[in-house]
Amino acid sequence: MIHDSVIRPNLVTGDKTLHDVTTEICRPIENKPSMSWSIGFSISVIFLGLLGLTLFITEYTGIGTWGLNKSVQWGWDITNFVFWVGIGHAGTLISAILLLFRQKWRMSINRSAEAMTIFAVMCAAIFPFFHMGRLWVGIYWVFPLPNAFGSLWVNFHSPLLWDVFAISTYFSVSLVFWYLGLIPDIATVRDRAKTAGRKFWYNFFSMGWTGSVRTWNRYEVVSLILAGISTPLVLSVHTIVSMDFATSVVPGWHTTIFPPYFVAGAIFSGFGMVLTLLVIARKVMNYQDYITIGHLEAMCKVVMLTGTMVGLAYITEFFVAAYSGVEYEQYAFINRATGPYWWAYWSMMSCNLIAPQVFWFKWARTTPWFIFMLSVVVNVGMWFERFVIIVTSLHREYLPSGWVMYSPTRIEIGIFLGTFGLFFTCFFLFSKFLPVINMSELKAILKNRE
Amino acid sequence: MIDSKLYLDKNKTVMFGIFENPEKFLDTVAKVNAKGANILDCYTPFPLHGIEKAMGLKRSRLPIASFICGCLGFLSAATLQYYIMAYDWIMVIGNKPSIGVSWVPVLFELTILFTAFGTAIAFFIRNKMLHGKLPMERIDMRQTDDRLVVAIATDAENTNKSELSAMLFEGGAVEVKERTNHGYDDFSDVMINNNGTVIA
Repeated sequence: MIHDSVIRPNLVTGDKTLHDVTTEICRPIENKPSMSWSIGFSISVIFLGLLGLTLFITEYTGIGTWGLNKSVQWGWDITNFVFWVGIGHAGTLISAILLLFRQKWRMSINRSAEAMTIFAVMCAAIFPFFHMGRLWVGIYWVFPLPNAFGSLWVNFHSPLLWDVFAISTYFSVSLVFWYLGLIPDIATVRDRAKTAGRKFWYNFFSMGWTGSVRTWNRYEVVSLILAGISTPLVLSVHTIVSMDFATSVVPGWHTTIFPPYFVAGAIFSGFGMVLTLLVIARKVMNYQDYITIGHLEAMCKVVMLTGTMVGLAYITEFFVAAYSGVEYEQYAFINRATGPYWWAYWSMMSCNLIAPQVFWFKWARTTPWFIFMLSVVVNVGMWFERFVIIVTSLHREYLPSGWVMYSPTRIEIGIFLGTFGLFFTCFFLFSKFLPVINMSELKAILKNRE
Repeated sequence: MIDSKLYLDKNKTVMFGIFENPEKFLDTVAKVNAKGANILDCYTPFPLHGIEKAMGLKRSRLPIASFICGCLGFLSAATLQYYIMAYDWIMVIGNKPSIGVSWVPVLFELTILFTAFGTAIAFFIRNKMLHGKLPMERIDMRQTDDRLVVAIATDAENTNKSELSAMLFEGGAVEVKERTNHGYDDFSDVMINNNGTVIA
């Protein structure tokens, strides 16, 4: 019944039985939080408080608290938005695309990567909402709602509106996918629950799951459909984000390479963040048998491939600008590499194109501390990529009279750091209250079935 | 539409075979099914491939629901954009036509959105899943952990219970139980030993 490959090593090491998987993965839920969890959670909550404070100041005083000016109308806000949306791409890629490709190694990491997707999209959504300044009227500007201002409808020609639809669809579909995957595992926790609170809540969210074969039969069909529709969805989201730039006439933005380039970049940064989190999580939660070096290695290969694709896109942009003969376009790129923001450009180049090339070496792909360092480098590089695209293109557009410099204020920096607080607070809560690894899927690939 | 077999209480007596080894479980279910026993359902902690064949289950028709919901999403997006851009207040922006390729992203996104939610809701309805519903099909507390359960209806006159329980034990069952239903969600379970008699 189970077709084992004799060549491939086991995806789960340590000769686990079905019951071992349940007890080990339910351990954080059923026990008091560890010291490291409590410290990490407290720090995250402090940063979450910073987010609340800086957003309050933004709303109370106005958008003037940010460093934006007449030329650079998008600064850290949209940089951070694209950064977080990009991070949100790994989860659905792992659970949907790798499911369609029957990559079984996804099973140990898909749950946490999907959770990451949801939290990252939440962080991302903060920026476009707050950059509108007046939140209370913003609702009519982004959603097609009837309103009291006459026939003030949204404009469906605008990529900014497509973005609203893309991001909200992506968020809600990812949530559905994640929740459906969680139901069997929540039922496992319910059936092991000893306290009244746990019995109630896990019963509430398990929706009466029993593990009936008739249900499993439908469940598998539903998973396949959701994976099938999420695959084009995940590709569409960053394509549409890139259209926010590509459909404009700003030199440096107006390029047709943006959609594939952004999608590759999103997968690159998403895997970067998954590696950052999981290298630590597997150590702290003692899940080395589930998230093995093999898993890390596979992810490193994806990082290397997508990093190289992004690097190729950077170079292609230069070539196309040179070949186009449009002097504005040419200037935009020369300005990126040699202008006042040269340091951002070269940080991006070295972090995204050059650094991941070390993954050609097996040692680099299989040494956790090194992978962790490199994943942080990838995150930094991808943040700089968005900063370079947005700020260097805007700060010197067509008319030299509009040329300015941009730097963020303390409030903008606070909001950005605060979103890390939100992200990690959500992730810590997730790791305490939900099974971090998909138990039911993992059980299906165990070799020790006694 | 709803399969009455799903409800264990529709049958007066039900025998449960509880297993710990998936391979043995699969073989036994296939054997019991071939014998002509009335298998109501099986409960497994993970999707056990091949079991639907052993039980004689058909492929789910949920994709039909997904397709209908997808079409609905597409039509909703088309209606929304037509009403807003070309009917209620015609907006001419950059001299572009009101109806055009700029509709595609929203058409696509809403199709996906409706398909996903429609599929999930259809799945919940079909399985009668609801928040907070405590299932009566919890035969063994470890059926979501490491045990596999087969439920066989033993109502029919010609059922040879001792032969059935012997067959389950022979196939590798660690426990066999029999449930007698008195009414909805009102039942009593007893343990059976390998010659079909009740263990006190």
